[in-house]
Amino acid sequence: MADLVRLGARGPRRALAHQGPVREFLVLRIGADDYGVELTSIREILSPPPVTFVPRAPRSVLGVCSVRGLLVTVVDLRARLGLEAASASRRARLLLTGASSGEVFGVLVDEVRQVVRLSDGELELASTVFGGDVAEHVLGIGRPKPGDDVIILLDLVRLVDHLPETV
Amino acid sequence: MVDPGDRAREEFFTEAQEIVETFSRNLLSLDATLKVGGDDPALVNEAFRAVHTLKGLAGLFGAAQLGLLSHRLEDLLDALRLGRMPLSPAVLDILFGSVDVYAQILDAERNALDPPAQAVDELCRRLDALGGASAEQPSLVVEYDLDPGMLAVLTEYEEHRLRTNIENGRGLYRLRVQFDLSTIDRALEEIKERAKRHGEIITYLPTGESASPDTIELDLLMASRDDLATLIGTLGADNVVIEEVPRRRRPSLAAGTVPPPDPAGTLLSLAPPGARLEPATSDDVLAVEPARSIKAVTQTVRVDIKKLDHLMNIIGELGIVRGVLARLSERARSDGQRQLATEILRLHRSFDRRLGDLRDAVLEVRMVPLGQVFDRLARVVRQISRDVGKDIRLVITGAETEIDKLIVEELSDPLMHMIRNAIDHGIEAAAVREKAGKPPAGTIALNAYQKGNHVMIEIEDDGAGIDEDALVEKAIALGRISRVDAGDLARHDLLGLIFMPGISTRDVAGDLSGRGVGMDVVKTNMAKIGGVIDVHSERGIGTKMTITLPITLAIVNALLVRAAGQVFALAVSHVSEAIVFDRRGLRTVEGREVVSLRGQTLPVCRLAEHLGLPEGQGPAPRRFVVVMALGARRLGLVVDAVLGQEDIVIKPLGPSLSDVRGLSGATELGDQRVALVLDSASLLEDVLSATDTGPLEVAPRG
Repeated sequence: MADLVRLGARGPRRALAHQGPVREFLVLRIGADDYGVELTSIREILSPPPVTFVPRAPRSVLGVCSVRGLLVTVVDLRARLGLEAASASRRARLLLTGASSGEVFGVLVDEVRQVVRLSDGELELASTVFGGDVAEHVLGIGRPKPGDDVIILLDLVRLVDHLPETV
Repeated sequence: MVDPGDRAREEFFTEAQEIVETFSRNLLSLDATLKVGGDDPALVNEAFRAVHTLKGLAGLFGAAQLGLLSHRLEDLLDALRLGRMPLSPAVLDILFGSVDVYAQILDAERNALDPPAQAVDELCRRLDALGGASAEQPSLVVEYDLDPGMLAVLTEYEEHRLRTNIENGRGLYRLRVQFDLSTIDRALEEIKERAKRHGEIITYLPTGESASPDTIELDLLMASRDDLATLIGTLGADNVVIEEVPRRRRPSLAAGTVPPPDPAGTLLSLAPPGARLEPATSDDVLAVEPARSIKAVTQTVRVDIKKLDHLMNIIGELGIVRGVLARLSERARSDGQRQLATEILRLHRSFDRRLGDLRDAVLEVRMVPLGQVFDRLARVVRQISRDVGKDIRLVITGAETEIDKLIVEELSDPLMHMIRNAIDHGIEAAAVREKAGKPPAGTIALNAYQKGNHVMIEIEDDGAGIDEDALVEKAIALGRISRVDAGDLARHDLLGLIFMPGISTRDVAGDLSGRGVGMDVVKTNMAKIGGVIDVHSERGIGTKMTITLPITLAIVNALLVRAAGQVFALAVSHVSEAIVFDRRGLRTVEGREVVSLRGQTLPVCRLAEHLGLPEGQGPAPRRFVVVMALGARRLGLVVDAVLGQEDIVIKPLGPSLSDVRGLSGATELGDQRVALVLDSASLLEDVLSATDTGPLEVAPRG
């Protein structure tokens, strides 16, 4: 993770850092889209360990796994965002994060790409972009540099705090 | 109030809790001594000290209600101690009541709720009502030829002890001792300790005469049942001269044995710094105990149970390392590196042994004596038996039996309900008992003992027993069983009916005034901690409930099974046997699949299907039925394979999965995989109640 941070810091986006306080986001790839989650909300990035399916669990919960003796609830980010399931890939990663309840979640993503640093000017809050009508786990839109693809910024903790009920 | 988030605060609660428990134990002992007409000043003193310490703690942490209550109780106990008020059952009632109020206060403080001011007020009013019950007692002291100098400096407490001893017909003795000034403290404690076996040292006073400047002469006033010769035999020494204090015929008679009195004030100046020469004040009573217990305190550590859980987890992980070592050894062997394989194997064995020791050691730390919960029950028995006006003797054995701390916490409520039931509905009224030729006082025995990896708790009463006819009628009336089925039930199974929802022993006893708690709730709560209840009852003789509990929840012996390609764990204690599944034996009765097992009908449930998992495709070569038994209920679980037994550490699922029924947690298997642990109780409940014929599954004996 430390490497990722350094990579991001050396990138071209550094030039814009003077535009106010800078926040660091981990860029994830899901399908063809890039999403960003704030680095401070991530405890650890792992290769996904074997996951045990839990019957009757909420739809977005894949199951549980063990990370060095700690029982972790695994959430599929695709399912959580209402996207179609994909087959497991070698690049898939598990992001460990803590819910407000103290429960430790592992959020499964297709691929982890890089870390970007966004200043206030490069970050549009969800409320201004979409008005009030947006899922509460969407933080906003990030534009690392003009002309680049936008990244959708997610609030990881809110994502796992409010899992949709069982189907 | 109390600063939240403060580490000291947690300490405060633990300490306060412990003191309240000690206080409660003292009261129970006092109650016992009072019943046989005894008198134990040490117990009253201990209770007084406990309350005094609580008051101090309350001040330190700004817990106002705690302080107020402690202050009032301190006054009461002081009055008892000094004999200004006699110890009566009414006073004890209030004291017992205060234990509950303490519990409420601590609970409120811990959860940052409003303190139970009303309960405290109520108790204070009861204390007020006791008020000036003090009685002036006629003094017998004048009958003894005591040194007036000594009498003049007696504290109120010492005077009370002197009076009490004389009233109890004990003789008074004067011990004249010579002590080295440098060791006087220790020497005094020593002689007090030795004197305890014979009586009590009431006070001591320096005589002012001493053989050398380095020694001091003291007069000790002692009360004892033993005669002078005995005392000289055991306490006498070169520096200890014992004389009997004569009873005088007439108060005016002066005896030459007592030296002329010295004014205490001038003598005190002789005392070396640090030496306590002034007559014991009431504060001394407080000071003695802590000084003696310093050693005990330093040898005990309080540990949060979560830290022990953490240790247990680490041990679980080490178990995985152990498995890896074994595999490494195998791999080395198959690669032809025999020597390396042998070395790794040796390492593996020694690691395995030490890990086993470590696990046992940590488990042992989690163990606490059942006495903790039994003490609370004793209080409840006392309270309820007074409420319902029945005289009940509680006999406890095996209070030292140890069990996991977490289980103890969950035990007190179900046990309390069971005991309450025994008092309310088991034990008959005194008149009925006498008519039946029983002693008027009922007896409830609470026995605990260890049996293998289980702890057994028996609650036995010598009451009326369960009326199984009434029980059956009630069950039929509720539609739980049919009359035909009832005829087929063996007596033991009949008694199992009391665990059915809607039936309480109250209905059976025909007593509507009771507060009987449904035994089904008790049973469910017991099942949560892996406990199983069995009932035995004889009409007219009594009822005995036997609870079988695992020693610890931290490690469970589990049966590993496979269904739908997934491994599940099941507590072995709930499994009676595993048999090969014979599809041809399968019948469908009222939409439910059943098989015959040795002439009995066993409902079965396909685990994969029940959990909504895809069943394996194609005909499985051989499947198994795991027979689960929980009390009277039985269920066959159809699985693809039985993999064997293993000791597992159960970890709870996260809050997001807490709504998932049928699972009690998960455990890590050796290969980094996680297996789900099935919750036998809810599984049985879900499957058997699905068609609402649950308790019918008590298979008829045939």
